[in-house]
Amino acid sequence: MNIKICGLRESKNIKQIAALKPDFLGFIFYEKSKRVVKKLDKSILKYLPDSIKTVAVFVNQDLEEVTEIMNYYGFDYAQIHGNESPEYCKSLFLENIKIIKAFGIDESFDFYKLNEYKDFCEFFLFDTKDINYGGSGKTFNWEILNKYNIQKPFFLSGGIGLDNIDKVLKFKHPMLSGIDLNSKLETSYGYKSKEKTNKIIKIIHMKYIEPDNNGYYGEYGGAFIPEMLYPNVKELQDNYLEIINSENFVSEYASLLNDYAGRPTPLFYSESLSKKYSANIFIKREDLNHTGSHKLNNTLGQVLLAKKLNKKRVIAETGAGQHGVATATACALAEISCTIYMGEKDIKRQANNVDRMKLLGAEIVAADGGSKSLKDAINHAIREWINNPVDTYYLLGSIVGPHPYPDMVTRFQSVISREIKQQLKTKTGSEDPDYVIACIGGGSNAIGAFYHFINNEKTKLIAVEAGGKGVNSGKTAASITLGKKGIIHGSKTYLMQTEDGQIVEPHSVSAGLDYPGIGPAHAYLYDTNSIEVTSVVDKEALDAAFDFSKKEGIIPALESAHALAYLNKMKFKKNDVVVVNLSGRGEKDMEIYQEYLKDNNCKN
Amino acid sequence: MENRITKLFKRKNKDILSVYFTAGYPSLNDTVDIIDYLSKAGVDIIEVGFPFSDPLADGPVIQESSKKAIENGMTLKVLFEQLKDIRKITEVPLVLMGYHNVVLQYGEQEFAEICSQIGIDGAIIPDMPIEYYNDRVKKYFLKSNLSKIFLITPQTSDKRAELIDKQSNGFLYMVSSDSVTGANKSISDRTSYFKRINDLNLQNPRLTGFGIYNKETFDSACKYSSGAIIGSAFIKNLAENSLSFENVQKFIKSIKP
Repeated sequence: MNIKICGLRESKNIKQIAALKPDFLGFIFYEKSKRVVKKLDKSILKYLPDSIKTVAVFVNQDLEEVTEIMNYYGFDYAQIHGNESPEYCKSLFLENIKIIKAFGIDESFDFYKLNEYKDFCEFFLFDTKDINYGGSGKTFNWEILNKYNIQKPFFLSGGIGLDNIDKVLKFKHPMLSGIDLNSKLETSYGYKSKEKTNKIIKIIHMKYIEPDNNGYYGEYGGAFIPEMLYPNVKELQDNYLEIINSENFVSEYASLLNDYAGRPTPLFYSESLSKKYSANIFIKREDLNHTGSHKLNNTLGQVLLAKKLNKKRVIAETGAGQHGVATATACALAEISCTIYMGEKDIKRQANNVDRMKLLGAEIVAADGGSKSLKDAINHAIREWINNPVDTYYLLGSIVGPHPYPDMVTRFQSVISREIKQQLKTKTGSEDPDYVIACIGGGSNAIGAFYHFINNEKTKLIAVEAGGKGVNSGKTAASITLGKKGIIHGSKTYLMQTEDGQIVEPHSVSAGLDYPGIGPAHAYLYDTNSIEVTSVVDKEALDAAFDFSKKEGIIPALESAHALAYLNKMKFKKNDVVVVNLSGRGEKDMEIYQEYLKDNNCKN
Repeated sequence: MENRITKLFKRKNKDILSVYFTAGYPSLNDTVDIIDYLSKAGVDIIEVGFPFSDPLADGPVIQESSKKAIENGMTLKVLFEQLKDIRKITEVPLVLMGYHNVVLQYGEQEFAEICSQIGIDGAIIPDMPIEYYNDRVKKYFLKSNLSKIFLITPQTSDKRAELIDKQSNGFLYMVSSDSVTGANKSISDRTSYFKRINDLNLQNPRLTGFGIYNKETFDSACKYSSGAIIGSAFIKNLAENSLSFENVQKFIKSIKP
């Protein structure tokens, strides 16, 4: 959810509000407004954080004047707040000025006319209809917006403040992408209260962990794709929210999760672990999801989306094979053709999953470039998508890749924490645990397990990376711990790379965590101290897997064993409630487990 | 703005031959020789690729040359060092081509500045979207008189092609088909796409690339654009023959006698 604070003008106040990191800051250039900027210090705009976009607000002003002001200050957006024509907007669009077109809304508003504007604007902004232009300061009946069905994101504006933000957050619309705040935060005209602004930003962020309109979580994410992929990705960006929020989709998806995948998955109280660690340890049993991991939550959703987009063929990458199996399964069910790209090295170490995919009717293609693992499988799949842009759907399995994949996969995986909340409430009386622990490669099971606890004051969220042979051994997949900011597979995030920007080959005993980057949402959560990131090495994960199998009768996937292993390194208080996300089951890892057993027996 | 690219197109607007090679391949220190030979063989524009470990828009040939170049020790720093006196050797327009992350780590501003010092005329960074370029990078490129060359593809809509054209300078890189580099999809069935883009009357000249590998494909590409770009075919030639002026000249003559 984008937050836009509008009507600023004094340098000191601009600095104070910018420090709170809203997504947009607005400056009014309409003479008749009480908040019109008089002497705006140009240099201050230059020093705003990169993540903040600046907006100049105009009302029925000459094109020359608008262009001149936009160029002089270097504003990112022009908010056009009068009764300007579509042609007016087109002229600005052709000057490469990004436009937010504002409209005053009442019962009789004709949404159809917005079609003439939509190609030239980045956003619409819906305000209360008022005889005075440039912001009404009053709310309108938002239900009118149910009549709005154009594919263009909008800001909601007009009289929003601390007194009614709860109501705003309950209002749902697939295209609602931002909240515009102004007069209700003021101590005097054009002067925003730091306290009120801070409070409302926190409330909004707690409610949503969503990227902005361009797919950014703070500075991370985005869509760094070659032009060849632009139409494919744009088609998804333009349609995914409307489709997955439609009534029809929601009910189809829910019944697939319940009747086909077998959700909700149980939340199991582990007596032995609870005793061992003197805390209340619950295991979220994603291993009991159909196909044996959390991956199916996402593939059922995306295959349904692919069908609605009339795609004829699905392609996907896979590391451990869990996403590949889940994709092949969802495709078999939906009767859609399926090709899976898998690193050559992974094909060998996850042979069982390769056989399963074949049995499910998928074609397997070996990715033989680079390290021959997950990263290369993604490269291969993306190239295949470039070669077949029209009828092929690329089904990414983690919260990586260009926007909208990170957000889309997050939404499909968020079912995990939604269930945890309900289950904990029943079992303990409180829906919020003290800790949630999950392993993290790209980060899809972790975001799913964290989602509904993000920014909740009580719950600590712990992401466990694959340390490989040791974080400083050169053979590791600890992308956040070692990573530097960069671009991988179309999104900006933390990744392991050389000084020259070459991506470093990762290593982990678990194929599913063998990825040199991290989902951009996690990079953002890490930077904002919303999650704690740590790592365990191969051996610790293997030991935890053995221990857990013997004590609980559950053979965990090697990936999930990383989360279990971290319990050993924690100190709990007696009544702490801890949830470990068991993202998958371990049958696929039998060969590695047996080898380890052999090696260890020899040594003993 | 004016640089060697814009000057070239003022002088000549058809049958332009641009050739791509990966710096650091076959050997680390071949860069200057290859530029010298291509320039003497009469090539109009030279695209110097700086390698990236994960070249998403490239097919197997350029993936392999990039991998080898990295193994040979090629980095942007090494490349700029190799090119520092290149303008003593040739006045052919030089374009750098590579992926965004490498530029990001070098520094976008620093990249533009050093290009201008050396006398580089343009850059192709396929995974730097036009919106990002406008917001973050354009100011540095303009200051350095560096053309940013954008791609258009068969799937690019008229509206977007016009927007890209408006924001470009130098030339537009027209991708011939839905493919990564080095594909040999027939370009003859792309006539409707070439005509569609031609009819838009864009302000920038266009060079056609991807899948151009011999005289026939070059000539056919030149029918609907100002010229064509050859990449994978030249790299293959370098892999199969020893590096010498004669061999480079022979290859260029086979395309443009």
